Order: sequence, then C-alpha cells, then structure tokens
Amino acid sequence: MSKQVPETIKKQVKRSFNSKEVKKEKNEKRVKLLKEIQSKAFKRAEKYEKEYLEQEQKLVELKQKALKEGSFYREPEPKLAFIIRIRGIVGVPPKPRKILQLLRLRRIYSGVFIRLNKSSLRMLHFIDPYVTWGYPDVETVRALIYKRGHARVNHQRKIIDSNEMIYDKLQKYDIVCMEDLVHEIYTVGKNFKHANSFLWAFKLKPPVGGFSTVKKSFVNKGEHGNREQYINTLVKKMI
Amino acid sequence: MTTQQLRPIVSVFPIKGKVKTIKQVPLPSVFSAPIRPDVVRFVHTNMAKNNRQAHAVSTTAGEQTSATSWGTGRAVARIPRVKGSGTGRSGQAAFGNMCRGGRMYAPKKVWRKWHRKINTNQKRYAVCSAIAATAVTPLVMSRGHRVNKLPELPLVVSDQLQSLTKTRQAVKFLKFIGAYRDVEKVIRTKKTRVGQGKYRNRRHVLRKGPMVVYARNLGIKKAFRNIPGVETASVYTLNLLKLAPGSQMGRFIIWTESAFKLLEDIYGSWEKPSKFKSGFYLPRPVMVNTDVERIIKSDQVQTVLRNRRPRSRKYGKKIQRADPYEDMSVMLKLNPYYKTKLQKQKELEEKNKEERKEIVDKSRKEYEDWLYFSEEEEEEEEEGSDEDREIEVLSDEN
Repeated sequence: MSKQVPETIKKQVKRSFNSKEVKKEKNEKRVKLLKEIQSKAFKRAEKYEKEYLEQEQKLVELKQKALKEGSFYREPEPKLAFIIRIRGIVGVPPKPRKILQLLRLRRIYSGVFIRLNKSSLRMLHFIDPYVTWGYPDVETVRALIYKRGHARVNHQRKIIDSNEMIYDKLQKYDIVCMEDLVHEIYTVGKNFKHANSFLWAFKLKPPVGGFSTVKKSFVNKGEHGNREQYINTLVKKMI
Repeated sequence: MTTQQLRPIVSVFPIKGKVKTIKQVPLPSVFSAPIRPDVVRFVHTNMAKNNRQAHAVSTTAGEQTSATSWGTGRAVARIPRVKGSGTGRSGQAAFGNMCRGGRMYAPKKVWRKWHRKINTNQKRYAVCSAIAATAVTPLVMSRGHRVNKLPELPLVVSDQLQSLTKTRQAVKFLKFIGAYRDVEKVIRTKKTRVGQGKYRNRRHVLRKGPMVVYARNLGIKKAFRNIPGVETASVYTLNLLKLAPGSQMGRFIIWTESAFKLLEDIYGSWEKPSKFKSGFYLPRPVMVNTDVERIIKSDQVQTVLRNRRPRSRKYGKKIQRADPYEDMSVMLKLNPYYKTKLQKQKELEEKNKEERKEIVDKSRKEYEDWLYFSEEEEEEEEEGSDEDREIEVLSDEN
C-alpha cells in the first residue's frame, strides 16, 4: 500500500526554508567559505612568522649597532601585558575589587591581556597586590589562545574549535583565523580591543610547583606585581 | 454558525423489524453547541444542592442543664459542672463541645443555605452542552455506556415508541435496537449501597442506563418505568442532573423522532431564537475553528510569516576539543600553516647543525695544524736558545 503523505506536510516541505535544495546550497556555500578561510589562514600565518622573525632580528641589529657606536639602544616600552589574578575574592577592598571586575579578573587564576598605556598602568598599580603581570612573548600568547582560548559567542563561553568561529565574529576587523588573532593581540594592533573582547578571560590552573608567597611582591621574592618577562615561565606552569 | 450551515443527517430507526426506506432527519443545531465541561460541572454541583432537605441538630441538645463552673482553687478544670448531688451526673462537665453529653461545636442550624440560585442562561448553557455531548460517541462511551452495537449516535427512533404500553414491548425494542447491553450492565451491577444510606431507605445503588426522550407520553412512561437503569423524560423538560449525571457529560439518550425535531424549536439556533425560552439563542463558542494546528499550517498564515530563524547548530553543543599541541589534526584545523612551519624549523635546525659542524670541523683542523707546527718550532728553538734569552734579561737595567 503506497504511503500517503498528508497534504499539510507536502505544503510545508514546499514552503520550507530548510528544504533539501536550500540546505544543499547553504552547505556548498559554507564549504567554499571554509576553504577560503583556511587558505587565507595559511598565507597569513606564513606572513606573520616572517614578521616575528624580522622583528627579533631587527632588535638584535639595533642593539649591536648601538654597541658599536658606544651608545645604548633603548627598547620600545612594552605595549602588551598579561595579567593573572592570584588572590581570591574574599576581603578585597572596593576600589581594587571594581578594577578587577573591569579587567574581567573575577576569579582566582583568571588571566587577561591588556594594552599598556598610562591609564591602564594606573589601574594595575591599584590591583598590584592581587595580580601578577608581565610582558608575554609570542609563544605564550599563542599557547594561551590555542590551548585555553575561549570565545564569547552569544553571551556564552565556547572553546575556539575552528577558524570559522573567528571569521564570523571578527571578519569585519580583518581577523579571520587563529594566527590573525594572535598577531592582533601580540602586536596590539588597531583592533586589539575587539580581538581582546572576543576572547573570554582565560581560566588558568594553579601553577605547577606552587607560589612562594603571594603576599609579597615579585621584587621582594614574592609573587604579586610586575614580573616583566618572567610571566612567560609562570604561564607555562599554569596553562 | 457558519460551520453549521450544512446540517448533517440522522437516520430514524423503526422500533421493530426492517423498514423499506429509512427516514432521515437533519441534526438540530443544539448538537453543535460548545461542549463545556466546566460550565456543566458548575451548574450541576449547584443544581444538585436544590433537592436537599434541611437537617439540623436539636437547638436544646446539650444545653438542658444548669451547670456552672466551680471556678479556681478546687483542683479541677474550670469547665461548667452539673449542680447538685446524689447522682452520677452531678459534678460532671457540661455544655462544652469537648464534654460528654455537651452540645456540639457550632450546632447545625436549619437556616443553612440549602439551595443555590443559578443564572438561567448558565443553566440553559449547561443543558445545551450536555445535549451536544450525548451525540459524541467517545464521551458517551467514556461515561460508561455500552454503545458498541448501536446503529448510530444520536439514536433517533420512530414515534411509535411513544405509544408503547407494555414493559415487555419496551424490552423487546431495546434488544432490537442494541441498547439492551447497557440495561444488562445496570442489572448486573446492582449492589447494596455502601455506607449508612442502606438503612435510610436508600438500600440499593444502580448505574444509569439509557434515557428515553419523548415528545408525547402515550404510554411510554409506564412502559419503561420498571426497566432498571432506564429513565424517561419529556423533551420539554430535560434535566441537567439526568443529562449529565454526576456532572459527567455523555448520557446515552434514545430520542423519538418528534422529540428530536422539537429540539430545534426548544433550543433554537444561532440565527433563530428559541420558541419556548424567550430571547434564548444557542451559546456561541469562544473559538469557531478549534483546530489550531490547521490554522497555523494554513496557507493564509504561513505565507505571511517571516523566515524561520536558522538554529545555529554550529557551535550549539559544548564541544570538547583536544589540545592542539598534542593533537596535530586539531592544530591544523586552527592553523593550517603549522606543519609547514615545523618542517621549516626542522630544515633550519638541520642547516644550522651542518653549518656548525663545518665551523667546528674547521676550527678543530686549525687547532690540530697549530699543534703540529708548534711541535716543529720547539725542536728548532732548543738548539740555539741561550743567546736569545740573555738579550731579554738585560732589559731590566734600562
């Protein structure tokens, strides 16, 4: 006996915006787009590798040149910092509490990138006893974003599992892949704000090997405050 | 109602034997009245209170003593106690609801409100609903009537039924029409009442069987009177308490032809008022077309709707992803250049290794050469070394 399809269902299928043909078309478009994104990602990653290498070499060159001339080379001040909150939420006075909230450091061992300028340095001054911060290098930025990078999508925290995710949100800022994101963050580009707010605050693990004492500043053999390039080793222990 | 302009046809069955042509009658509008169990329940519960008889406790019960409290200081409770002596009753507590032989708490009064007024229109609404429900087979079945063998519901039968006089004839008719199964059920389930009603002249309990509705009583009342479970009623005075016993709609009704036709006059329709109930039109349903699914799926609605927003399933589920530094496939998905990068690094390392090897080999060779030549020089120096030494020592004086 032939199966009779009810008329309402037939009509629905005809009218449907999810019909097989439409789905097929959409899928084809998407596949094409993904290919484009991946090819862009490849080219840009290549470009950035060269760029980072050149930067390093340039720095070395300038230092050597200065040495030869008998003068000093003053490196440009760092533009990017990575802050990790190392104290809990109990007993924090209102001003540091508010600043920590503004910086999205709402729980212990959470980390964020921040652009360094006069105003942000002032903010860091207030929250020094509760955080440790420093200047991350490329590999640290990469590791954080690849391994612990979560995106803010639809008010939700979702792990970045494909470049498509980045493309959807940050395409208008010309950021289409992971390496773009890393580059934007590391070099603090024009769209740093958007790239950074795309990222959810990093949730890190307590450091392997522990802290010495959080109550003292890093300068005093403790842990809090500015630790410049030593943030990189710390992040390796906490990632 | 526009949905009821086309009135379905109901067959009129004979009361015995076959008939050459079965007459057909249009269905009265009442049967399309909205079926409202909530209205029926409300009206029924209130109507059922109207046949109650007043009862109360005697006004003097428990008060026929002159008891007074003994007050404090006597090591007894302060409840009023019966005066006097010489009898067991004296000194006993009286008057309180907690006392033995005392008056009850809040003695029942005769002037309790036993009856309930119900708005006439509500009453009529309920009756219309109940009548409409008698034509709905699932409702009649769920009420418990055995209607499987009936030729049709609503069951309309020729007017000859009204002229029946003998119970035997009535039973024969019921068997013929297929309604006797319902009567059998009633007979089978006759039981002694549970509870105290059994010695208060309400000994037995019977189910409700078919109800026969007639237009003119020409003997039908007496014919069906003695059949257990069967009730008769005039179509002019249909009682909700019988149409929906226990406020449960769907009584099994056998209509006579003229009674059936009269329903149109008695209850009217939505266009024409009732002839017997002044100003009464059939109640209107809240929704004319209750098939909401069909309305939504209709062309008129669907063509005006906006596109369905696609559910972004892309990153809907919580995705567990492997660590890209451990799983190459995950890394390549995120950074397709990574493999090339590693390759290049490897190549660079190897190139550096080779260069370093060259440099190390070269310097080692130089060292070895220097060693070799220095050995030769030492041999030559040993032969004529004194003179050179002396010259060097003289330098102190100057």
